[in-house]
Amino acid sequence: MPLLLPGILFLAFYTAALMLAPSVRQHLQQAQPDWQYLLPFFVWLAVSLVMQRRINRGMTNADPWVFPIVAVLSGWGVLTIWRLSPSLGAKQIMWYSFGCALMLIALNRRDFIGNLRRYKYLWLFLGLLLIGLTFFIGVNPADAGPKLWLRFFNFYLQPSEPLKLLMIIYLAAYFADQIRPQLSLMQTILPSLLLIILAGLLLVAQRDLGTASLFVALYALMLTVTTQRRRFIFILPGLGLLLAVAAYFASDLVRTRIDIWLNPWLETSGASYQLVQAQIAIAAGGLAGTGPGLGSPAFVPVAVSDFIFSAIAEEGGLLFTSAYMLLILILAIRGLSIAQNSKTSFGRYLAFGISAYYSLQSLFIIGGNLSLLPLTGVTMPFMSYGGSSLVTNLIAALLLLRISTEPSAFTLYEKGRKSYRWVAGAFILLFGVVLAANTALAYFRQRDLLARPENPRWAVYDRFSPRGQIFAQDGEILAATKGSSGAYTRQVVYPPLSNVIGYASPIYGQTGLETSLYDVLRGYAGTDYKELWWHERFFNQPLPGLDIRLNLDLILQQHADGLLNGHKGAIVLLNAATGEVYVLSTYPSFDANRLDGNWPELMARVDAPLLSRPTQGLYPLGSVGGLIALADQFTRLEPSQNLPEINNILDNDCRQAMAASARNDSRLALKYGCLDAVRGLVQADDPAAILEQARALGLFTAPGVAIQTAAPSQPADPSLDPAGFAQALADTKLSPLQLALMAAAVSNNGQLPSAQLVNAYRDPAGNWRPFEADAALPSQAMPAPAAQRIQDYLQTGNESLWFTTGQNSALAGDGLAWYLGGTTSAWHGTPLAVAVLLEEADSRLAQTIGYNLLTAPTRGLLP
Amino acid sequence: MTETLNFALRVAMLIALYAFLAFAVVTLWRSVARPSSAENQAIPPITLTTDIDENPKEAVFVSAEVLLGREAHNDFTLEHPTVSSRHARLQYRQNQWWFEDLQSTNGSYLDNLRIEEPIVVKDGDTIYCGEVAIHIKIKPLS
Repeated sequence: MPLLLPGILFLAFYTAALMLAPSVRQHLQQAQPDWQYLLPFFVWLAVSLVMQRRINRGMTNADPWVFPIVAVLSGWGVLTIWRLSPSLGAKQIMWYSFGCALMLIALNRRDFIGNLRRYKYLWLFLGLLLIGLTFFIGVNPADAGPKLWLRFFNFYLQPSEPLKLLMIIYLAAYFADQIRPQLSLMQTILPSLLLIILAGLLLVAQRDLGTASLFVALYALMLTVTTQRRRFIFILPGLGLLLAVAAYFASDLVRTRIDIWLNPWLETSGASYQLVQAQIAIAAGGLAGTGPGLGSPAFVPVAVSDFIFSAIAEEGGLLFTSAYMLLILILAIRGLSIAQNSKTSFGRYLAFGISAYYSLQSLFIIGGNLSLLPLTGVTMPFMSYGGSSLVTNLIAALLLLRISTEPSAFTLYEKGRKSYRWVAGAFILLFGVVLAANTALAYFRQRDLLARPENPRWAVYDRFSPRGQIFAQDGEILAATKGSSGAYTRQVVYPPLSNVIGYASPIYGQTGLETSLYDVLRGYAGTDYKELWWHERFFNQPLPGLDIRLNLDLILQQHADGLLNGHKGAIVLLNAATGEVYVLSTYPSFDANRLDGNWPELMARVDAPLLSRPTQGLYPLGSVGGLIALADQFTRLEPSQNLPEINNILDNDCRQAMAASARNDSRLALKYGCLDAVRGLVQADDPAAILEQARALGLFTAPGVAIQTAAPSQPADPSLDPAGFAQALADTKLSPLQLALMAAAVSNNGQLPSAQLVNAYRDPAGNWRPFEADAALPSQAMPAPAAQRIQDYLQTGNESLWFTTGQNSALAGDGLAWYLGGTTSAWHGTPLAVAVLLEEADSRLAQTIGYNLLTAPTRGLLP
Repeated sequence: MTETLNFALRVAMLIALYAFLAFAVVTLWRSVARPSSAENQAIPPITLTTDIDENPKEAVFVSAEVLLGREAHNDFTLEHPTVSSRHARLQYRQNQWWFEDLQSTNGSYLDNLRIEEPIVVKDGDTIYCGEVAIHIKIKPLS
C-alpha cells in the first residue's frame, strides 16, 4: 500500500486532469467536469487495493514492486484508452478486473509453478491448438486484415498472446529438465528448436509476423542464459536480419512494412500514413505533452492498441514515455533479480523469460512507433487495448510474484549471475537507444515535424481558437470566424473573392491568404511571445488570431467581378504609385463556403475555377511585349529621335481592336498590338537590351506579394535569330499581376512599385498597425522621360489615360486578349494601373473592361 | 481559472509519477547494492586439499564463492573422470561456509550421504566429489 500510494496519486491527478480537459479546451468560465473518468479510476483503485492486500497477506516474501508497477501501468493504460474511446476503455477495465481475479485464484494454489513445469507439453500444445484453430474459425474484430482472433460470444481471444507466455513456460521447463553436461549443445536444444520453428511457421502462415519475430528473439535470449553461451545473443541480431531479408523478398506485407519504414515520407497519405502521423503526434507532445485530453492523438489510426505509445507521447510528452520505459525496465530488472534468487532452475528461467518478454515486447512496439524498427503489430505491455494481451501480462506478473516467494537461501554462483547482468545491461542499453530516438522526434526534430503539411492539428486549433477576420480597405468584412470555442467555422462573406482569400478546411487544406497569412491570422505572429507560450501550455491552442485589413476595395472589386462575369480571365487594378492592390478579379471562381458538395466537380472542371488567375495564372505575353520594346527604345532614343520604321500590316485581331479608329498608322498598330508591327519593333531592337528592360520591369521575378504566385518564367534565349527571338518573347508566360505592375511603372514615371495586398493588422490591443510587407522598395524600371514618352505615345484621345492591347500570336494556339493601361502624369487623383486578361481573342471587350475600370473613379467609385 | 487548476493537476500528476519512479529506483538500487556489501565482510580462509592419482593439491580461498569442477575455469580444478565439468561450489553466507552440488552427474557426498541441497561444512570435514576426496580446513577469524 505505501509503495502503491504515489502511483494512486498519479492516476488520481491524471483522472482529474482528463475530467477538466473539455472545459479547458472550450474556455468555459465555469468548469463542467467530465465525470465519466471517475468510473474507470475507482474500479481500478478498488481492484488494485484488494489485490495488493491479498498479496501482502497471502504471499510472504513476494517482491514488493511487481504488483504496484503492474497496477499503475494497467490503470494508466485503461485511462488512456478510455480517453480515446470510452467503450473500449470500459472493456479494458473489465479485462483488468478479470485478469486480477485470475491472479487471485492462482495466488495461493499449491504447486502452481510445479504443475506448469510438469505439464509443459500440454500447455504448449494447447497454445498451438488455439493458434491452429484461427486457421479455421479465425475472425478479425475489425472485419479486415489478418484473422488472428477466436470469438466466444462477444469476446475475442487472440491466441498468439497466451501462446507467448505458454512458450516461455515450455522453454523454461524444457531447459530446466534438459541441461545435462554430457549432452552436446545440439542435442540439448534440438527438440525445443523444432517446436519453436513449428510455432514460428504457424504464426508466419497467419501473417502474425510481430509475434513470430518476438519468439525468435525470446528463444535466443533464453538459450543465452540457460546454456550460458553468450554467442546466442550475437547470433540473434544476425538471424533476425537474415529472416527480415528473406521475408522482404517472400512476403508483400513485409516488403510494404520495410519499405515504408525506410521511406516513410514517400507515401504520407497511403501506406505510411500511420507512421508519419505517429511521428508528428510524438513531436506534438514535445517534452511535457499537450496535457491529458488536450491533444489530438486520434489522428493516428489504431491509437488505442498498436499506436498507444504515440497517444501517450502526444498528451504526456517525453516525460510520460520515459517514465513508461523506466517502469518496464525496473519491472524487467526486478524480474531478473527474482530469477537470480529463485530456488529452482525452472523458476530462474521462467522469471528470466517473463522479464525478457516484457522488455522485448515494449522495445518492439515503441521502436515501431518511433520508426526505429519496422512496425510489428505486437502490443505495448499493460497499455495497449486488448483483453488477451492484458490478461496474459497480468498472469505473467503473477508468475513472477509466485517465483519471488520461493527464494533460494543462496546467491547464484558468479558465472550464472554474470549472464543475467549481461542481459540486464543489454536491456538498459536498448531502452537508452529507444529513449534517444524518442528525444530526437520530440525535441530535436519537433519543429520540422510539426511544420509538415501532413500535420492536421491547425484544423483543431481553428475549431477551438478563432482565426483573425479579413477586412477590405473600406472596412467591409471579407472573411469571418463564427460560432463558439469548439465549434468555430470559417466563412468567406464575399464568396467571389474565394480565390484570393482561400479556404482553411480540415479535408482540403489551406489556400490563398488563409495559408500565406497563417501566422498572423492564427496569432503566431504579432502576439506577445511569452503570452503565446503560456497559452499553448495551458490550452494547447494558439492565441486568438489577429485581424487583417487588405488594400482590396470591395466596391471596385464587385464592379470588376460584374464586368468579368461570364468571361474567363482576370483583372488586376493597382494604385500605380504605391502598388496597393485594389482589385483582384478572376472568372470562373468558386465558393469557399461550399467545398464539401462541390469538391469533385471543382477538381474535375477544365476551366480551373480553383485557380487564382490574377496571381497564379500564366499567360503568353503575346503582342503586349511591344511595350517592353517601346520602353527600351524610348530609353535610348534622344527626345528628338523617332522610333525605327516598322512594317504595319494590320491583322484581323488588331483591326477589330482598333474598330472605329482603324487607320494604317504604325503608332496605332503598336497600340493595338498588331502582331506584325510588334514583331518588327522587337526585331529592330537588340535582344539583350529587351531582356534587360524586361528584367528591370520585374517580369522574370515573382512579385513580392502576400499570396501565392506562379513561379516566374525564364527569359527567352537572346542568341536566337531575330524572328525566333520575337516569337520566344511573345511566348514568355506572365501573370496578370506582373503585367499590371509593368503598367504601373509606365504610369508612375518609370518607377516600378511592389504589389501591396495587405494594408494592416490589428494588434492584440486593438490598434491597426501597418503590415510590414516583405516586398522591395520601388525601383526605377525605366527613366522618367521614357515613361512619359510611352504615356504620350499610347495616350487615349485627350484623356489623362493611356492603354495598349495585345493578342496571342496565331501560332501559339488559344486566343487571348490583354489590355494594359493606366493614368498619365496629367491625371489629378489616385494614379491607377490596370491589367485585363481574357482567355478569348476579344480585344474589344478587354478594352471596354479596362477603360471602364480606369474611369471608375470619375464616376464616384473611388478607392 | 479552470485552466490554472488543470495545469496544477498536470504538474502534480508528473510529480506523483516521478515520485513513484524514484521510489522504485531507490529500492531497486538498494537491493542491487546489498549483496556487494555482504561480500565485503571478512571471510575466514578455507583450505582445500585433495590427492588425485597421487598428485597432492592444496589451495586457500578467501573469496565468498569457490567453484569446483573438472574444467580449467573452476577455482579449484579436479581432473578426474567422475567429476563433472562444473561440479559444485562453496559459498560463504550468514557467517558460514556452505557446500552446494551443481547438479553434477556423479553427485557429491558427505559421510556417505548424497548432498541434495546446500549444507554447512566445518573444519575437518571430508567431502567426495564423485570419487575425489576433498579435505576442508577452515581457519576461524581472530
